[in-house]
Amino acid sequence: MSAVLFFIAAIGAISGAIGVVMMRNPFYSVLALAFHLVSLAALFLLLRAEFVAAAQVVVYAGAVMVLYVFVVAYVGGGEQLASGAVLRILGPLFALALAIELCIAMLGAGLKGVNSRGAPFVLGFGTPKHIGNLFLTKYLFPFELASILLLVAAIGAVVLARRRRGLEPDEQAAYRVEAPRPAYTGTMAEAAGLRPAGGEEPLKPEVEPVGTTTGDATQQQGDW
Amino acid sequence: MIAFANVNYFEPWWVQIVKSIVIFAVVFAILPILIVYERKLLGRFQSRYGPNRVGPFGLMQPLAEIVKFAMKEPMRPNTSIAYLFRLAPVISIITAIAALAIIPWGDVQHIFGQRVGLYGIDVSIGPLYVFALAGISFYGIMLGGWASGSKYSFLGSMRGAAQLISYEVSQSLSIVGVLITAQTLSLTGIVHAQRGMWFFIPQLAGFLVFLVASFAETNRAPFDLIEADAELVAGYFTEYGGTPFVAYLFAEYANMIVVSGMAVTIFFGGWLLPFGLNPPGWVDPFVVLAKILLVFTFFVWIRATLPRLRYDQLMSFGWKILLPLATLNLLVTSIVVVS
Repeated sequence: MSAVLFFIAAIGAISGAIGVVMMRNPFYSVLALAFHLVSLAALFLLLRAEFVAAAQVVVYAGAVMVLYVFVVAYVGGGEQLASGAVLRILGPLFALALAIELCIAMLGAGLKGVNSRGAPFVLGFGTPKHIGNLFLTKYLFPFELASILLLVAAIGAVVLARRRRGLEPDEQAAYRVEAPRPAYTGTMAEAAGLRPAGGEEPLKPEVEPVGTTTGDATQQQGDW
Repeated sequence: MIAFANVNYFEPWWVQIVKSIVIFAVVFAILPILIVYERKLLGRFQSRYGPNRVGPFGLMQPLAEIVKFAMKEPMRPNTSIAYLFRLAPVISIITAIAALAIIPWGDVQHIFGQRVGLYGIDVSIGPLYVFALAGISFYGIMLGGWASGSKYSFLGSMRGAAQLISYEVSQSLSIVGVLITAQTLSLTGIVHAQRGMWFFIPQLAGFLVFLVASFAETNRAPFDLIEADAELVAGYFTEYGGTPFVAYLFAEYANMIVVSGMAVTIFFGGWLLPFGLNPPGWVDPFVVLAKILLVFTFFVWIRATLPRLRYDQLMSFGWKILLPLATLNLLVTSIVVVS
């Protein structure tokens, strides 16, 4: 039973990995990567690493890949970039280097375990309790380091996202469409008398430049 | 033996197969009843009768509908991608059914000389199992919307992606307080830890966050922007008809049963009864079912009461209110438990 499951999961993982590289459409590549990650989770289950398997699916397939799919579905597809001459030579070279490195690693260490019976299974191995204990005792420092790294990344993402909003006021104005329109064809704010009806006077800008966010428009929209 | 069955005793293989068939059959018999129950209830909420033509009190309505859906000609748009279009509802329904396995319907019983746990599996990772499957079930919605090759489907699934990600965080954070208090991840263990007091009393904030996030995770009103019919026709399943549509419908309701079952197990004492009542073991599944039905009724009540949120409201509510609340709840609970 476990042998059958192993081969199903292993074939799934390898075909998924191949699919990531071979697919022309980036959307399919992302899907193949998600399939690969789920297959890896099945392999973790077979190794009795239940928590790692669940974390793999929740974090990678369920969160990271969802964002990938989200972005690729919005902006991906369509035109395909032709790979340049430099990339065409460098790509196989790097692949070859990686393959040699993997071969050295496997031949040097991994193959010794093939004929042995492997490490004995300890009751409670791979459960959240076990992993939590290890995190807070043996691997406390790497664990905290990784947390700080993630925190820095999260804060960095917020800072970058905020900077995107800080366009110059003049630049904002260039994108704003100010077309006259008939009265009472517009917003609820207009119907409620909060905003002047019709196109006699130009509407207030929807998006205020950063720094003057206390304008009337934002207050009328109602914020959470 | 497969690695994720973490029981302290041995269950023969045939017991596991019988259990899975019984859970599947019972829940799938309940789903159509739930659908007609919701429609009747919505009717009462809105001062009308609801379905009342087929059979006594309209109870045969789901039967008629299922026959109609099964008879429909399968069709797909020219712009769709054939195999993804077929695959997407399958992913949705499989993950929904697989998540059912974890709801504990009762304690371990002695049946035919065997010790049988009245649940599909009792895994050591507990709720993470449901979250993992919820993560995969997202692909059912996403692929369904994307492969349909229609703008409305695509927009619906895009909203789904952002919404599911945002609320999954709060949902999983909200139950960590319970896990800390119960000191276990096993759902039966959580129920046993509620013998003195059900967790929704000490974990009220966590319960409320979980409930709200569950509405969003199951795409129910007021968070049903994925299928907002005023703007998106029907969202991600606009192009689906016949049995694939039924697959999506049943997946949604099965997900609601799973979420209700999680709420019952984690916050409402599972099969335990208040006032010192201690019925024999065979009553347990009925207790759980009754509690699930109550939570489901609440779902319908909210659907009939609250209007749909605007999309930016949904997002800022999830990130600016629910997530800090869940984090605060976790923090306070840890301080109380440790000290």
